[in-house]
Amino acid sequence: MKIGILSKRTGFFTEKLKESFENKGHNVKVYTKENLCINKTLLENDLYVMKSKDQIPFVYAGYYAEANGIPVIPNTEISYKHKNRLEAHLLIKNVGSLLSPPYYYGTIESLKNNLKDKDFPLILKPTTSSGSVGIKVINSINEIDAESNEILYLEKFINGTHYIVYFIGNEICTLEKVPLENEHSEMTKIDTSEDIKALIFKWKSKYNLLFGHLDIVKEIYSGKLYIVDSGTFPQFVNWKCEGDPASKIANLILKKYEELKSKL
Amino acid sequence: MVNIGIITDKFHLEHKISEFLKYLKTKAKVTIYIEESCILGSNYLKTDKDLFFVKGKGKIIIALARLIENETTIPVINSPRAILLTMNRFLNSTLLQKEGIKIPDFSFIPYDYPPPFEDFIVKNIIDQKKYKFRPLIKKNNGHINVFDERAINEVDNEKENYRYFYYQKFIKSKWEYKVYGFGEDLFFYKQIPILVNPNKMETRKKIDEIQELKEMSLKAMKIIDLKAASLDFLKSKSGEYFLTDVNSLPNFNYIENGYKKFADFLISQAKK
Repeated sequence: MKIGILSKRTGFFTEKLKESFENKGHNVKVYTKENLCINKTLLENDLYVMKSKDQIPFVYAGYYAEANGIPVIPNTEISYKHKNRLEAHLLIKNVGSLLSPPYYYGTIESLKNNLKDKDFPLILKPTTSSGSVGIKVINSINEIDAESNEILYLEKFINGTHYIVYFIGNEICTLEKVPLENEHSEMTKIDTSEDIKALIFKWKSKYNLLFGHLDIVKEIYSGKLYIVDSGTFPQFVNWKCEGDPASKIANLILKKYEELKSKL
Repeated sequence: MVNIGIITDKFHLEHKISEFLKYLKTKAKVTIYIEESCILGSNYLKTDKDLFFVKGKGKIIIALARLIENETTIPVINSPRAILLTMNRFLNSTLLQKEGIKIPDFSFIPYDYPPPFEDFIVKNIIDQKKYKFRPLIKKNNGHINVFDERAINEVDNEKENYRYFYYQKFIKSKWEYKVYGFGEDLFFYKQIPILVNPNKMETRKKIDEIQELKEMSLKAMKIIDLKAASLDFLKSKSGEYFLTDVNSLPNFNYIENGYKKFADFLISQAKK
Protein backbone atom coordinates (compact mmCIF):
# COMPACT_ATOMS: atom_id res chain seq x y z
CA MET A 1 0.00 0.00 0.00
CA LYS A 2 1.08 3.61 -0.55
CA ILE A 3 1.14 5.75 2.56
CA GLY A 4 1.66 9.50 2.82
CA ILE A 5 2.84 11.07 6.06
CA LEU A 6 1.93 14.75 6.50
CA SER A 7 4.68 16.14 8.69
CA LYS A 8 6.67 19.31 9.37
CA ARG A 9 9.85 17.28 9.59
CA THR A 10 11.29 14.20 7.95
CA GLY A 11 13.29 13.13 11.02
CA PHE A 12 12.45 12.28 14.62
CA PHE A 13 9.25 10.28 15.10
CA THR A 14 8.23 10.68 11.45
CA GLU A 15 11.37 8.84 10.35
CA LYS A 16 10.74 6.02 12.81
CA LEU A 17 7.13 5.72 11.70
CA LYS A 18 8.18 5.66 8.05
CA GLU A 19 10.65 2.86 8.80
CA SER A 20 7.98 0.90 10.67
CA PHE A 21 5.62 1.05 7.70
CA GLU A 22 8.42 0.21 5.26
CA ASN A 23 9.45 -2.77 7.35
CA LYS A 24 5.96 -4.11 6.81
CA GLY A 25 6.34 -3.76 3.04
CA HIS A 26 4.56 -0.44 2.41
CA ASN A 27 5.70 2.44 0.22
CA VAL A 28 5.90 5.63 2.24
CA LYS A 29 6.35 9.25 1.21
CA VAL A 30 6.75 12.09 3.69
CA TYR A 31 5.06 15.36 2.68
CA THR A 32 6.48 18.50 4.27
CA LYS A 33 5.79 22.19 3.58
CA GLU A 34 8.54 22.03 0.96
CA ASN A 35 7.07 19.32 -1.26
CA LEU A 36 3.36 19.09 -0.46
CA CYS A 37 1.16 20.02 -3.43
CA ILE A 38 -2.53 19.70 -2.70
CA ASN A 39 -4.14 18.62 -5.92
CA LYS A 40 -4.87 15.41 -7.83
CA THR A 41 -1.29 14.19 -7.24
CA LEU A 42 -2.30 13.43 -3.64
CA LEU A 43 -4.81 10.86 -4.83
CA GLU A 44 -2.03 8.39 -5.60
CA ASN A 45 -1.85 7.28 -1.95
CA ASP A 46 -4.16 4.85 -0.15
CA LEU A 47 -3.78 6.35 3.31
CA TYR A 48 -2.50 9.50 4.99
CA VAL A 49 -1.07 9.84 8.46
CA MET A 50 -1.46 13.34 9.90
CA LYS A 51 1.64 13.74 12.01
CA SER A 52 1.59 17.57 12.00
CA LYS A 53 -1.51 19.69 12.40
CA ASP A 54 -0.70 23.11 10.91
CA GLN A 55 -3.84 24.25 9.14
CA ILE A 56 -1.82 25.25 6.09
CA PRO A 57 -0.90 22.99 4.48
CA PHE A 58 -1.46 19.79 6.54
CA VAL A 59 -5.09 20.19 7.61
CA TYR A 60 -5.91 21.36 4.09
CA ALA A 61 -4.25 18.22 2.70
CA GLY A 62 -6.14 15.98 5.12
CA TYR A 63 -9.41 17.65 4.22
CA TYR A 64 -8.69 17.17 0.51
CA ALA A 65 -7.76 13.51 0.98
CA GLU A 66 -10.88 12.73 3.02
CA ALA A 67 -13.11 14.59 0.54
CA ASN A 68 -11.72 12.27 -2.12
CA GLY A 69 -12.32 9.12 -0.11
CA ILE A 70 -8.80 8.55 1.23
CA PRO A 71 -8.63 7.84 4.99
CA VAL A 72 -6.57 10.13 7.20
CA ILE A 73 -5.41 8.92 10.62
CA PRO A 74 -5.83 10.67 13.04
CA ASN A 75 -8.75 12.21 11.17
CA THR A 76 -8.58 15.79 9.95
CA GLU A 77 -11.27 17.28 12.15
CA ILE A 78 -9.91 15.91 15.41
CA SER A 79 -6.39 16.99 14.44
CA TYR A 80 -7.57 20.53 13.65
CA LYS A 81 -9.46 20.78 16.92
CA HIS A 82 -6.48 19.65 18.98
CA LYS A 83 -4.37 22.37 17.38
CA ASN A 84 -6.84 25.18 18.05
CA ARG A 85 -6.73 26.16 21.72
CA LEU A 86 -10.41 27.10 21.93
CA GLU A 87 -11.60 24.01 20.09
CA ALA A 88 -9.40 21.84 22.30
CA HIS A 89 -11.07 23.41 25.33
CA LEU A 90 -14.47 22.53 23.86
CA LEU A 91 -13.34 18.96 23.23
CA ILE A 92 -12.61 18.59 26.94
CA LYS A 93 -15.82 20.32 27.97
CA ASN A 94 -17.92 18.20 25.61
CA VAL A 95 -16.80 14.95 27.24
CA GLY A 96 -18.99 16.04 30.11
CA SER A 97 -17.15 15.08 33.26
CA LEU A 98 -13.62 16.26 32.49
CA LEU A 99 -12.14 19.52 33.69
CA SER A 100 -10.00 22.13 32.01
CA PRO A 101 -8.85 25.36 33.66
CA PRO A 102 -10.93 28.53 33.22
CA TYR A 103 -9.62 30.74 30.41
CA TYR A 104 -9.82 34.23 28.93
CA TYR A 105 -9.63 34.95 25.21
CA GLY A 106 -9.46 38.44 23.73
CA THR A 107 -7.30 41.28 22.50
CA ILE A 108 -4.71 42.69 24.85
CA GLU A 109 -6.82 45.85 25.19
CA SER A 110 -9.98 44.00 26.17
CA LEU A 111 -8.04 41.78 28.58
CA LYS A 112 -6.50 44.87 30.21
CA ASN A 113 -9.95 46.36 30.63
CA ASN A 114 -11.55 43.24 32.07
CA LEU A 115 -8.98 41.34 34.13
CA LYS A 116 -8.41 42.18 37.78
CA ASP A 117 -5.38 41.55 39.99
CA LYS A 118 -7.16 38.65 41.71
CA ASP A 119 -7.41 36.82 38.35
CA PHE A 120 -3.64 36.25 38.26
CA PRO A 121 -1.44 34.24 37.98
CA LEU A 122 -2.44 33.14 34.49
CA ILE A 123 -0.68 31.12 31.84
CA LEU A 124 -0.23 32.71 28.43
CA LYS A 125 -0.55 30.11 25.67
CA PRO A 126 -0.31 30.40 21.87
CA THR A 127 -3.80 30.31 20.32
CA THR A 128 -2.95 27.72 17.69
CA SER A 129 -0.51 25.31 19.17
CA SER A 130 -0.42 22.25 21.32
CA GLY A 131 2.37 21.18 23.62
CA SER A 132 4.16 23.52 26.00
CA VAL A 133 6.04 25.54 23.39
CA GLY A 134 5.71 29.30 23.90
CA ILE A 135 3.81 29.23 27.18
CA LYS A 136 4.66 31.28 30.26
CA VAL A 137 3.26 32.31 33.62
CA ILE A 138 1.94 35.88 33.82
CA ASN A 139 1.51 37.59 37.16
CA SER A 140 0.18 40.88 35.80
CA ILE A 141 -1.27 42.03 32.49
CA ASN A 142 1.65 44.47 32.20
CA GLU A 143 4.02 41.53 31.74
CA ILE A 144 2.51 40.83 28.33
CA ASP A 145 4.28 42.37 25.38
CA ALA A 146 1.73 42.34 22.54
CA GLU A 147 0.36 44.58 19.82
CA SER A 148 -3.00 46.17 20.68
CA ASN A 149 -4.98 44.03 18.22
CA GLU A 150 -3.17 40.79 19.05
CA ILE A 151 -5.46 38.04 20.32
CA LEU A 152 -4.33 36.18 23.41
CA TYR A 153 -5.36 33.06 25.27
CA LEU A 154 -4.80 33.11 29.01
CA GLU A 155 -5.54 30.19 31.28
CA LYS A 156 -5.89 29.98 35.04
CA PHE A 157 -2.77 28.56 36.66
CA ILE A 158 -3.57 25.35 38.54
CA ASN A 159 -1.27 24.73 41.45
CA GLY A 160 -0.50 21.04 41.44
CA THR A 161 1.51 18.10 40.19
CA HIS A 162 2.06 18.01 36.42
CA TYR A 163 1.93 14.86 34.32
CA ILE A 164 2.23 13.95 30.70
CA VAL A 165 0.23 10.84 29.94
CA TYR A 166 0.86 8.98 26.69
CA PHE A 167 -1.57 6.40 25.43
CA ILE A 168 -1.15 3.91 22.59
CA GLY A 169 -4.10 1.57 22.22
CA ASN A 170 -4.86 0.42 25.75
CA GLU A 171 -1.35 1.05 27.03
CA ILE A 172 -0.87 4.10 29.21
CA CYS A 173 2.48 5.59 30.15
CA THR A 174 2.44 8.30 32.83
CA LEU A 175 5.33 10.63 33.58
CA GLU A 176 5.69 13.34 36.17
CA LYS A 177 7.25 16.51 34.83
CA VAL A 178 8.38 19.93 35.88
CA PRO A 179 5.44 22.36 35.49
CA LEU A 180 5.19 24.00 32.04
CA GLU A 181 8.17 22.10 30.63
CA ASN A 182 7.65 20.64 27.16
CA GLU A 183 7.65 17.02 26.04
CA HIS A 184 11.40 16.98 25.50
CA SER A 185 12.33 17.75 29.11
CA GLU A 186 13.46 15.13 31.63
CA MET A 187 10.57 13.29 33.25
CA THR A 188 10.05 10.51 35.76
CA LYS A 189 7.93 7.49 34.95
CA ILE A 190 5.34 6.73 37.62
CA ASP A 191 2.60 4.15 38.01
CA THR A 192 -0.64 5.25 36.42
CA SER A 193 -3.24 6.00 39.07
CA GLU A 194 -6.81 4.74 38.71
CA ASP A 195 -8.26 8.25 38.31
CA ILE A 196 -5.82 9.04 35.47
CA LYS A 197 -6.52 5.69 33.83
CA ALA A 198 -10.29 6.35 33.94
CA LEU A 199 -9.80 9.83 32.50
CA ILE A 200 -7.67 8.56 29.61
CA PHE A 201 -10.17 5.86 28.65
CA LYS A 202 -13.02 8.35 28.75
CA TRP A 203 -11.07 10.71 26.53
CA LYS A 204 -9.91 8.19 23.93
CA SER A 205 -13.26 6.46 23.68
CA LYS A 206 -15.19 9.74 23.27
CA TYR A 207 -13.08 10.73 20.27
CA ASN A 208 -12.09 7.27 18.97
CA LEU A 209 -8.41 8.01 19.41
CA LEU A 210 -5.88 5.26 18.72
CA PHE A 211 -3.05 7.11 20.46
CA GLY A 212 -2.09 10.53 21.75
CA HIS A 213 -1.29 12.34 24.95
CA LEU A 214 -2.81 14.53 27.62
CA ASP A 215 -1.04 16.99 29.90
CA ILE A 216 -2.75 16.76 33.26
CA VAL A 217 -2.41 18.71 36.49
CA LYS A 218 -3.59 17.26 39.78
CA GLU A 219 -4.60 20.23 41.88
CA ILE A 220 -2.98 20.15 45.31
CA TYR A 221 -5.85 21.37 47.46
CA SER A 222 -8.73 19.53 45.74
CA GLY A 223 -7.03 16.50 44.20
CA LYS A 224 -9.01 17.19 40.99
CA LEU A 225 -7.48 16.40 37.61
CA TYR A 226 -7.38 19.21 35.04
CA ILE A 227 -6.49 18.63 31.39
CA VAL A 228 -4.20 21.50 30.39
CA ASP A 229 -3.16 20.26 26.97
CA SER A 230 -3.99 17.50 24.54
CA GLY A 231 -2.28 16.16 21.46
CA THR A 232 -3.11 13.69 18.72
CA PHE A 233 0.47 12.93 17.80
CA PRO A 234 3.24 13.62 20.32
CA GLN A 235 6.87 12.73 19.60
CA PHE A 236 6.76 10.06 22.32
CA VAL A 237 10.33 11.04 23.28
CA ASN A 238 9.65 10.18 26.91
CA TRP A 239 7.87 6.90 26.29
CA LYS A 240 9.50 4.93 29.09
CA CYS A 241 7.15 1.99 28.93
CA GLU A 242 7.47 -1.29 27.11
CA GLY A 243 8.18 -1.59 23.37
CA ASP A 244 8.75 0.74 20.46
CA PRO A 245 6.00 3.38 20.15
CA ALA A 246 6.53 3.90 16.40
CA SER A 247 6.01 0.24 15.66
CA LYS A 248 2.96 0.01 17.94
CA ILE A 249 1.41 3.08 16.30
CA ALA A 250 2.11 1.81 12.79
CA ASN A 251 0.31 -1.44 13.71
CA LEU A 252 -2.69 0.42 15.10
CA ILE A 253 -2.92 2.64 12.02
CA LEU A 254 -2.75 -0.31 9.64
CA LYS A 255 -5.39 -2.18 11.62
CA LYS A 256 -7.65 0.87 11.58
CA TYR A 257 -7.13 1.26 7.84
CA GLU A 258 -8.24 -2.33 7.27
CA GLU A 259 -11.36 -1.69 9.36
CA LEU A 260 -12.19 1.43 7.40
CA LYS A 261 -11.58 -0.33 4.09
CA SER A 262 -13.86 -3.22 5.02
CA LYS A 263 -16.68 -0.75 5.75
CA LEU A 264 -16.48 0.76 2.25
CA MET B 1 -40.35 41.29 20.58
CA VAL B 2 -37.62 39.13 19.10
CA ASN B 3 -34.28 39.42 20.89
CA ILE B 4 -31.32 39.52 18.49
CA GLY B 5 -27.59 39.60 19.23
CA ILE B 6 -25.29 41.13 16.63
CA ILE B 7 -21.66 39.97 16.73
CA THR B 8 -19.51 42.35 14.76
CA ASP B 9 -16.45 44.59 14.74
CA LYS B 10 -15.90 48.33 14.74
CA PHE B 11 -15.35 48.47 10.97
CA HIS B 12 -18.64 46.81 10.05
CA LEU B 13 -20.50 48.69 12.75
CA GLU B 14 -19.31 52.06 11.47
CA HIS B 15 -19.36 51.43 7.72
CA LYS B 16 -21.71 48.62 6.79
CA ILE B 17 -24.70 48.13 9.07
CA SER B 18 -25.95 51.49 10.37
CA GLU B 19 -29.15 51.62 8.24
CA PHE B 20 -29.77 47.96 8.91
CA LEU B 21 -29.45 48.45 12.68
CA LYS B 22 -31.70 51.50 12.67
CA TYR B 23 -34.42 49.48 10.94
CA LEU B 24 -33.86 46.29 12.95
CA LYS B 25 -34.22 48.19 16.23
CA THR B 26 -37.77 49.18 15.24
CA LYS B 27 -38.67 45.50 15.01
CA ALA B 28 -36.48 43.69 17.55
CA LYS B 29 -34.57 44.10 20.75
CA VAL B 30 -30.93 44.34 19.68
CA THR B 31 -27.71 43.79 21.61
CA ILE B 32 -24.37 44.42 19.93
CA TYR B 33 -21.18 42.51 20.76
CA ILE B 34 -18.08 44.23 19.39
CA GLU B 35 -15.01 42.12 18.74
CA GLU B 36 -12.52 44.71 19.95
CA SER B 37 -14.06 44.87 23.42
CA CYS B 38 -15.17 41.27 23.83
CA ILE B 39 -13.46 38.91 26.22
CA LEU B 40 -14.43 35.27 26.04
CA GLY B 41 -14.14 32.80 28.87
CA SER B 42 -15.38 29.59 30.35
CA ASN B 43 -18.42 31.14 32.01
CA TYR B 44 -19.23 33.75 29.42
CA LEU B 45 -22.43 32.44 27.97
CA LYS B 46 -25.66 33.27 29.70
CA THR B 47 -27.95 34.64 27.06
CA ASP B 48 -31.64 35.12 26.40
CA LYS B 49 -31.26 35.84 22.67
CA ASP B 50 -33.52 34.33 20.01
CA LEU B 51 -30.92 34.64 17.26
CA PHE B 52 -27.35 35.79 16.70
CA PHE B 53 -26.25 37.47 13.49
CA VAL B 54 -22.53 37.41 12.75
CA LYS B 55 -21.20 40.32 10.70
CA GLY B 56 -17.44 39.94 10.58
CA LYS B 57 -14.73 37.33 10.18
CA GLY B 58 -12.33 38.11 13.02
CA LYS B 59 -11.03 35.37 15.31
CA ILE B 60 -12.94 36.58 18.37
CA ILE B 61 -16.14 36.92 16.34
CA ILE B 62 -15.87 33.36 15.08
CA ALA B 63 -14.88 32.06 18.52
CA LEU B 64 -17.92 33.67 20.14
CA ALA B 65 -20.20 32.26 17.46
CA ARG B 66 -18.61 28.86 18.02
CA LEU B 67 -19.20 29.00 21.78
CA ILE B 68 -22.84 29.98 21.26
CA GLU B 69 -23.29 27.14 18.81
CA ASN B 70 -21.63 24.66 21.14
CA GLU B 71 -23.45 25.63 24.29
CA THR B 72 -26.92 26.77 23.21
CA THR B 73 -29.62 25.96 20.66
CA ILE B 74 -29.89 29.57 19.52
CA PRO B 75 -29.63 29.95 15.71
CA VAL B 76 -26.42 31.62 14.54
CA ILE B 77 -26.39 33.23 11.08
CA ASN B 78 -24.02 32.44 9.54
CA SER B 79 -22.69 29.46 11.45
CA PRO B 80 -18.99 29.53 12.39
CA ARG B 81 -18.43 26.49 10.17
CA ALA B 82 -19.91 28.36 7.20
CA ILE B 83 -17.78 31.43 7.91
CA LEU B 84 -14.60 29.37 8.22
CA LEU B 85 -15.36 27.49 5.01
CA THR B 86 -15.98 30.66 3.02
CA MET B 87 -12.85 32.29 4.45
CA ASN B 88 -10.71 29.30 3.55
CA ARG B 89 -11.01 29.32 -0.21
CA PHE B 90 -9.30 25.98 -0.68
CA LEU B 91 -11.62 24.22 1.76
CA ASN B 92 -14.81 25.48 0.16
CA SER B 93 -13.47 24.68 -3.33
CA THR B 94 -12.75 21.12 -2.21
CA LEU B 95 -16.16 20.68 -0.62
CA LEU B 96 -18.12 22.27 -3.48
CA GLN B 97 -16.28 20.21 -6.08
CA LYS B 98 -16.90 17.02 -4.12
CA GLU B 99 -20.62 17.78 -4.03
CA GLY B 100 -20.78 18.35 -7.76
CA ILE B 101 -20.88 22.14 -8.01
CA LYS B 102 -19.06 23.35 -11.10
CA ILE B 103 -16.06 25.41 -10.02
CA PRO B 104 -12.90 26.25 -11.95
CA ASP B 105 -10.01 23.77 -11.56
CA PHE B 106 -7.82 24.69 -8.63
CA SER B 107 -4.53 23.72 -7.05
CA PHE B 108 -2.78 24.58 -3.79
CA ILE B 109 0.99 24.44 -4.13
CA PRO B 110 4.19 25.98 -2.70
CA TYR B 111 4.61 29.52 -4.05
CA ASP B 112 7.91 28.73 -5.79
CA TYR B 113 6.47 25.84 -7.85
CA PRO B 114 5.58 26.41 -11.53
CA PRO B 115 1.95 27.44 -12.15
CA PRO B 116 -0.32 24.45 -12.80
CA PHE B 117 -2.42 26.21 -15.48
CA GLU B 118 -1.60 28.39 -18.49
CA ASP B 119 -4.37 30.87 -17.69
CA PHE B 120 -4.82 31.37 -13.99
CA ILE B 121 -5.73 33.64 -11.14
CA VAL B 122 -3.89 33.42 -7.83
CA LYS B 123 -6.29 34.33 -5.04
CA ASN B 124 -5.65 35.05 -1.39
CA ILE B 125 -5.80 31.92 0.76
CA ILE B 126 -7.66 33.18 3.81
CA ASP B 127 -10.18 35.89 3.03
CA GLN B 128 -10.30 37.52 6.44
CA LYS B 129 -8.81 40.98 6.18
CA LYS B 130 -10.90 44.01 5.22
CA TYR B 131 -8.81 45.27 2.31
CA LYS B 132 -10.03 44.58 -1.19
CA PHE B 133 -9.07 42.51 -4.20
CA ARG B 134 -6.24 44.25 -6.11
CA PRO B 135 -5.32 42.34 -9.23
CA LEU B 136 -1.90 42.37 -10.88
CA ILE B 137 -2.53 41.27 -14.45
CA LYS B 138 0.20 39.81 -16.67
CA LYS B 139 -0.05 38.66 -20.28
CA ASN B 140 2.20 35.65 -20.85
CA ASN B 141 2.51 34.38 -24.46
CA GLY B 142 -1.15 35.05 -25.07
CA HIS B 143 -2.18 33.62 -21.69
CA ILE B 144 -3.59 35.62 -18.84
CA ASN B 145 -1.98 35.37 -15.40
CA VAL B 146 -3.59 37.27 -12.53
CA PHE B 147 -2.20 37.64 -9.02
CA ASP B 148 -4.25 39.05 -6.19
CA GLU B 149 -1.87 41.41 -4.41
CA ARG B 150 -3.15 40.04 -1.10
CA ALA B 151 -1.92 36.55 -2.02
CA ILE B 152 1.58 37.88 -2.65
CA ASN B 153 1.51 39.85 0.60
CA GLU B 154 0.48 36.73 2.51
CA VAL B 155 3.50 34.84 1.20
CA ASP B 156 5.85 37.77 1.85
CA ASN B 157 4.50 38.44 5.31
CA GLU B 158 6.76 37.02 8.01
CA LYS B 159 3.77 36.67 10.36
CA GLU B 160 2.09 34.11 8.15
CA ASN B 161 3.62 30.69 8.50
CA TYR B 162 2.78 29.48 5.03
CA ARG B 163 4.37 29.92 1.65
CA TYR B 164 1.59 28.72 -0.62
CA PHE B 165 -0.46 29.93 -3.56
CA TYR B 166 -4.05 29.03 -4.33
CA TYR B 167 -4.36 28.81 -8.13
CA GLN B 168 -7.71 28.89 -9.87
CA LYS B 169 -7.99 28.27 -13.59
CA PHE B 170 -8.95 31.52 -15.30
CA ILE B 171 -12.40 31.57 -16.92
CA LYS B 172 -12.83 34.23 -19.59
CA SER B 173 -16.33 35.65 -19.32
CA LYS B 174 -18.11 38.65 -20.78
CA TRP B 175 -20.09 39.18 -17.57
CA GLU B 176 -19.59 38.45 -13.94
CA TYR B 177 -22.79 37.24 -12.27
CA LYS B 178 -23.57 38.03 -8.67
CA VAL B 179 -26.25 36.26 -6.67
CA TYR B 180 -27.27 37.41 -3.18
CA GLY B 181 -29.06 34.88 -1.04
CA PHE B 182 -31.09 35.48 2.13
CA GLY B 183 -32.40 32.02 2.88
CA GLU B 184 -34.20 30.94 -0.28
CA ASP B 185 -34.72 34.49 -1.55
CA LEU B 186 -32.21 35.16 -4.29
CA PHE B 187 -31.34 38.43 -6.04
CA PHE B 188 -29.57 38.35 -9.41
CA TYR B 189 -27.15 40.89 -10.87
CA LYS B 190 -24.47 41.06 -13.52
CA GLN B 191 -21.56 43.39 -14.14
CA ILE B 192 -18.49 43.74 -16.32
CA PRO B 193 -15.79 41.54 -14.70
CA ILE B 194 -13.80 43.42 -12.13
CA LEU B 195 -10.57 42.69 -14.02
CA VAL B 196 -11.93 44.71 -16.95
CA ASN B 197 -13.62 47.44 -14.96
CA PRO B 198 -12.55 47.67 -11.30
CA ASN B 199 -15.54 49.89 -10.50
CA LYS B 200 -18.00 47.03 -10.16
CA MET B 201 -21.01 49.19 -9.38
CA GLU B 202 -20.61 51.28 -12.53
CA THR B 203 -21.81 48.45 -14.75
CA ARG B 204 -23.83 46.38 -12.29
CA LYS B 205 -27.44 45.76 -13.31
CA LYS B 206 -30.28 43.76 -11.88
CA ILE B 207 -31.24 40.79 -14.04
CA ASP B 208 -34.01 38.22 -14.14
CA GLU B 209 -33.59 34.95 -12.33
CA ILE B 210 -31.39 32.44 -14.16
CA GLN B 211 -32.57 28.95 -13.31
CA GLU B 212 -29.11 27.36 -13.47
CA LEU B 213 -27.59 29.98 -11.18
CA LYS B 214 -30.52 29.63 -8.81
CA GLU B 215 -29.99 25.88 -8.49
CA MET B 216 -26.23 26.22 -8.10
CA SER B 217 -26.57 29.00 -5.52
CA LEU B 218 -29.09 27.23 -3.34
CA LYS B 219 -27.13 23.98 -3.52
CA ALA B 220 -23.84 25.72 -2.64
CA MET B 221 -25.46 27.57 0.27
CA LYS B 222 -26.86 24.31 1.59
CA ILE B 223 -23.52 22.50 1.27
CA ILE B 224 -21.66 25.23 3.14
CA ASP B 225 -24.53 25.85 5.58
CA LEU B 226 -24.93 29.50 4.55
CA LYS B 227 -28.18 31.24 5.37
CA ALA B 228 -26.90 34.54 3.97
CA ALA B 229 -24.41 34.70 1.13
CA SER B 230 -23.20 36.35 -2.00
CA LEU B 231 -21.93 34.14 -4.80
CA ASP B 232 -19.91 35.06 -7.90
CA PHE B 233 -20.17 33.23 -11.19
CA LEU B 234 -18.47 33.40 -14.57
CA LYS B 235 -19.79 32.00 -17.83
CA SER B 236 -17.31 30.23 -20.10
CA LYS B 237 -17.23 30.48 -23.89
CA SER B 238 -19.06 27.17 -24.05
CA GLY B 239 -21.89 28.61 -21.97
CA GLU B 240 -21.15 26.83 -18.69
CA TYR B 241 -21.48 28.69 -15.40
CA PHE B 242 -18.67 28.35 -12.87
CA LEU B 243 -18.92 29.36 -9.23
CA THR B 244 -15.76 31.36 -8.55
CA ASP B 245 -16.31 32.90 -5.10
CA VAL B 246 -18.53 32.48 -2.07
CA ASN B 247 -18.89 35.12 0.64
CA SER B 248 -20.57 34.77 4.01
CA LEU B 249 -20.96 38.53 4.53
CA PRO B 250 -23.19 39.76 1.70
CA ASN B 251 -23.31 43.53 1.44
CA PHE B 252 -27.08 43.95 1.53
CA ASN B 253 -26.67 47.68 0.89
CA TYR B 254 -26.18 46.85 -2.81
CA ILE B 255 -29.78 45.57 -3.03
CA GLU B 256 -32.73 47.95 -3.16
CA ASN B 257 -34.08 48.06 0.41
CA GLY B 258 -31.63 45.23 1.08
CA TYR B 259 -31.16 46.12 4.74
CA LYS B 260 -34.93 45.89 5.31
CA LYS B 261 -35.23 42.62 3.44
CA PHE B 262 -32.32 41.18 5.36
CA ALA B 263 -33.58 42.36 8.75
CA ASP B 264 -37.01 40.82 8.04
CA PHE B 265 -35.30 37.60 6.99
CA LEU B 266 -33.30 37.47 10.24
CA ILE B 267 -36.42 38.00 12.34
CA SER B 268 -38.11 35.15 10.47
CA GLN B 269 -35.22 32.85 11.43
CA ALA B 270 -35.30 33.62 15.18
CA LYS B 271 -35.83 30.83 17.67
CA LYS B 272 -39.56 30.35 18.11
